[in-house]
Amino acid sequence: MTTAVLLLLLAFGAYLVAVLENWATSGRFQLATPAFSALALLGRESVLPRKPDRIFFEVAPTLLLISAVLAAAVIPLTPNLIITDLATGALFINAALVYVLVALIMAGWGPNGAYAMIGGWRFLGQLIAYAMLIVMPITAVVMRAESLLTTQIVVSQAGLWNIVYQPVGFVLFFIAAMALAFLPPFDLTTAKGELAGGVEAEYSGVRLAVFRLGRLVLIITLAAATVVFYLGGWQGPWLPPWAWSAIKILAVTAIMLLAGRYMPRIREANLLSWCWMFGIPLALLNIFLVGVLVLVFS
Amino acid sequence: MTAQMFFIGFFGLASVWFGIVVFRTFSMVRSALALLFSQTALGAMFLSMQAEFLGVLQIMMMATEMSIMAIFMVMFMMDPGGLGEMDMTHQKRLSLGAGIVAFVAAVAVAVFVDWGPIADVAPDAAQQTVDLGLELLGRSMLIFETAGITILTAMIAATAVAIPPVKRKPSKGATHHEH
Amino acid sequence: MITGARHGKLSGLRRLLATAMARDLKVFVIPGPDIARAHGLDINAAGLQMVASPRHASVLLVIGAIPPALREAATVIYAQMARPRALFVLGTNALLSPLPDADMTAELSQRDLIEGVQQLRQLFSAHAFRPDISDFDAPVLQIRLEYTCPMHPEVIQDEPGSCPKCGMTLVPRETQANMEHAHMEQQQTDSGTDVQMASTHEHQHMADDTPASVVYTCPMHPEVVQDEPGSCPKCGMFLEPREVKSESTHEHQHQHQHMADDTPAPVVYTCPMHPEVVQNEPGSCPKCGMTLVPRETQDTHEHGDTDSHANHTGMDHSAMNHDEMDFMSMVDVTKDLPRSTDGLPMEWIDAPFGPFFPGLPGGLLLSLTLDGDTVASSGALSLTESMNLLAHSPMDSTDFMEQLANMDPLTPVAYRLLACRALENAAGINVPADTARARAGALERERITSHLGWLTLFAQQTGFDWLMRRAGSLQLKFQHASLEQIVALKPAIQTLIKRLQRTLLLKSRTVGIGRLMPEATMRGPVARAAGLHDDARSADQTFTTLGFTPAGRKESDAFARLHVRLDEITHSLMLIEAAGAMESPTLLPVGTASGTGDATVETPRGPARLQLTLTHGQVSAAQLETPSTPHLDLVDPLMEQQELGDALVAVGSLDLSPWSSQQTFPQ
Repeated sequence: MTTAVLLLLLAFGAYLVAVLENWATSGRFQLATPAFSALALLGRESVLPRKPDRIFFEVAPTLLLISAVLAAAVIPLTPNLIITDLATGALFINAALVYVLVALIMAGWGPNGAYAMIGGWRFLGQLIAYAMLIVMPITAVVMRAESLLTTQIVVSQAGLWNIVYQPVGFVLFFIAAMALAFLPPFDLTTAKGELAGGVEAEYSGVRLAVFRLGRLVLIITLAAATVVFYLGGWQGPWLPPWAWSAIKILAVTAIMLLAGRYMPRIREANLLSWCWMFGIPLALLNIFLVGVLVLVFS
Repeated sequence: MTAQMFFIGFFGLASVWFGIVVFRTFSMVRSALALLFSQTALGAMFLSMQAEFLGVLQIMMMATEMSIMAIFMVMFMMDPGGLGEMDMTHQKRLSLGAGIVAFVAAVAVAVFVDWGPIADVAPDAAQQTVDLGLELLGRSMLIFETAGITILTAMIAATAVAIPPVKRKPSKGATHHEH
Repeated sequence: MITGARHGKLSGLRRLLATAMARDLKVFVIPGPDIARAHGLDINAAGLQMVASPRHASVLLVIGAIPPALREAATVIYAQMARPRALFVLGTNALLSPLPDADMTAELSQRDLIEGVQQLRQLFSAHAFRPDISDFDAPVLQIRLEYTCPMHPEVIQDEPGSCPKCGMTLVPRETQANMEHAHMEQQQTDSGTDVQMASTHEHQHMADDTPASVVYTCPMHPEVVQDEPGSCPKCGMFLEPREVKSESTHEHQHQHQHMADDTPAPVVYTCPMHPEVVQNEPGSCPKCGMTLVPRETQDTHEHGDTDSHANHTGMDHSAMNHDEMDFMSMVDVTKDLPRSTDGLPMEWIDAPFGPFFPGLPGGLLLSLTLDGDTVASSGALSLTESMNLLAHSPMDSTDFMEQLANMDPLTPVAYRLLACRALENAAGINVPADTARARAGALERERITSHLGWLTLFAQQTGFDWLMRRAGSLQLKFQHASLEQIVALKPAIQTLIKRLQRTLLLKSRTVGIGRLMPEATMRGPVARAAGLHDDARSADQTFTTLGFTPAGRKESDAFARLHVRLDEITHSLMLIEAAGAMESPTLLPVGTASGTGDATVETPRGPARLQLTLTHGQVSAAQLETPSTPHLDLVDPLMEQQELGDALVAVGSLDLSPWSSQQTFPQ
């Protein structure tokens, strides 16, 4: 029952992300447009490019969707509204999200096209840098909560949200989450003006619809993870827990979608070197500081 | 219990099957990803054995590692798409021998080692994580740290080897391409 | 009816899908959104969404007449689109063969575009599905199979077989049926391949004068040697024939390192203390009596002749242990692959960027050879029609002016002015000062429009959405703005420029990218960003009286070019205000005058010079120099060894106009 409710909420959330994304790119706030776009995609032919690696080409969009949904499974919207409160929840999110990478490699390799392939490998090349910025800030969050349970992580922030307790970790995680969802300015893998759509370039019709849906779910999942890890999850005064979760998740999503509009795409070399040179040392520093704080104040 | 046994067997067979696929395809990327799914199936086996932390960790680590292997295979192999249908196997006799020896050894270890009394119920997942952490920072710390340092050393050494040496003096009587 | 309808009967659910598709029209613009804006079209405002990949588009929007080469490219684009697809042509009724017939045509204006879109929507909801559809085919879509070696891309043949260089099975590859074998691969003369090819040649040459027999060996397992052809027992690859020479040629191998790479190294014996002692059999040193140690002749690396540095890397030595280790060595396997400057051998891929690439000017084709995502080599080509200045000779002067004005849709006013000035110069007409000022105003307005168009394209390329919208809408507003409107738009421009100075990541995206040494071939803003203060306006009295000073920067990179253009927008605003008038140039009557005329106009891309001969009021000869022609040759050095994203920004920063550049075909 909870699972069904949460999957429905996830679908609804993905739809709202589509509305927000349309708003961010076209400047028009239209509630119906994503529905028509989705239907139109179903109506269009799904072209199979010449000489594809058929298995990868077919599996990639589904794998993207599955990994995003799996990551969403351990995210609590209220103390009880969670698909499965795994004892390894914080680690499980990582494990599920890594398969986004596998899906993008498949999507890049599958269609036998240069733009797609470069897009796929770009994502992999970058991931080595920012995957650390996902894992290490989560480590610090887990240290404070002294538990991998996502519900426990939210509870641990009752006194003070993690965004205040470990702001460095928040900034790093937020940037890395945007990069993982290949949102502008980190959209190196789909880069419209550089790669004509990159990994998306050869997909059309139903396959593209699944791919886009997977990405929408990924965005909302990452926003929800940010809320759970840093913004106190469902906690807040006056309103019921589910409302706080919804408000926070949508706000984070909107910021993620809008930020990239106001700057050019980051240079590939810069993202990689900044992640290594500043991101990882800062993440280590964050872990150290949180460790000290935990020891001193507990 | 039967469901558990079924899943252990299923993922075990899946793992073996993906392992075979690694050598039955010509494409480097397929080969690398087949190895990944073989490892993922192993992770799923851990999960069916109620070792949650280990299973999730295995599933997570292997995805990155095998993807990185895939990109290296694509970069360095001359025919990553496998269009030339190059055979992926070589040194057949040696590898067959090594495989058989390793298999026999693994079976022998499984059969002859005294594993102690069988636990009735696995501890719950959170307890397992705690136990694992205490184990890693207690009795197994030395092994764990040694392995970590060894891998780090190997990585640094591999990088050092891969960097072309700086030539101090140009070769005699030949035009020299600068780096 | 839509020619590109999807197969099926329009009923039930499909009716709903068709309605949705009619609402959700995605458009791919040909020759490009830059041309659409130059014609004053606002595609987003017309309710169409532009997409980057033809696979995502349902409407192919063709703007104006396009030359045959672009039509062929457009046909490929059309064939890539997913059905249902429609062809919407603006501003021309000409046949677009080999493209199919247009599903909808309209005049080249925003109003007609909007109306056309409405009709297209009706077409889609009524005819998106059709039970009887035929496949679209065109000669340009025909595929020919050719065979190439995965390791030696320069080997291309029509028949399957094995590579003459390494014996690997050739891999089929598709190319256009009507293309010659003019592949980019053949230009991939990286030192690695180059040297390798040279050495093979030499090898064969020498074999001529020494007795030789043929053995077959595996390219990957040199220890496999047999007398008959066949496949390798270790890896199954086809064995490669190799000539074996008598011992006397071993000395050659000391000198020709490459051959030693190809052959199992013969072992010689030498003294550890007296390296000059070398013999073919084991034994002891005649000088000191020590036991001689075996050494492979590959150790004579230092004596090798010119070679790619990659062969000198430490990795190469591991290849020597090859025989003992009996292991597939990466170094060995990849030694024939072309290498980039970082020494890493990688698969090279050829990818066309253009002629309708979303981040490049429409009509520009970059053929890139990519090494990973670094550009190994490139070729730039304008696919627009090569300029034929005189459609017929002699030509009526007004027709000539109109033709020149229509040549480059990106800057019609500048070329119209150029034609007027040259014709008036030839006829000896003095232009009244107020007319000249009004013309200067129009030219400066076009400069603002053009630079804003460049900004929009740059924003599109780098995914800077806000700038794309802002600069794009300002460009459309400036296009036909009156003096009052321009004054009113001034604050918006100032805000835009201020905003750009504060933009995150913009500096890191452009500083140091596309850096060029100042060169004589640089023109306009590109030259002024390199510290060369040449501006045709400095020599123009009309402009000097208006208080013109050329913009200038020194860094000569994309950042400097961006800022020169921003400065020029500000300057142009001042010039327009100082001129106090704007008027599109009209030709003063030249009558039946004869003479030669010479005029230079600083177009937004740099000075364009027109020389013409006027005979009895008719143009009998003309010669045009445009700024984009020399800039095309800058593309290759700009892109070389750059990461793809940087390379595209670098090319974009040149602001090439394919429409006013003469073809310079790559050799």
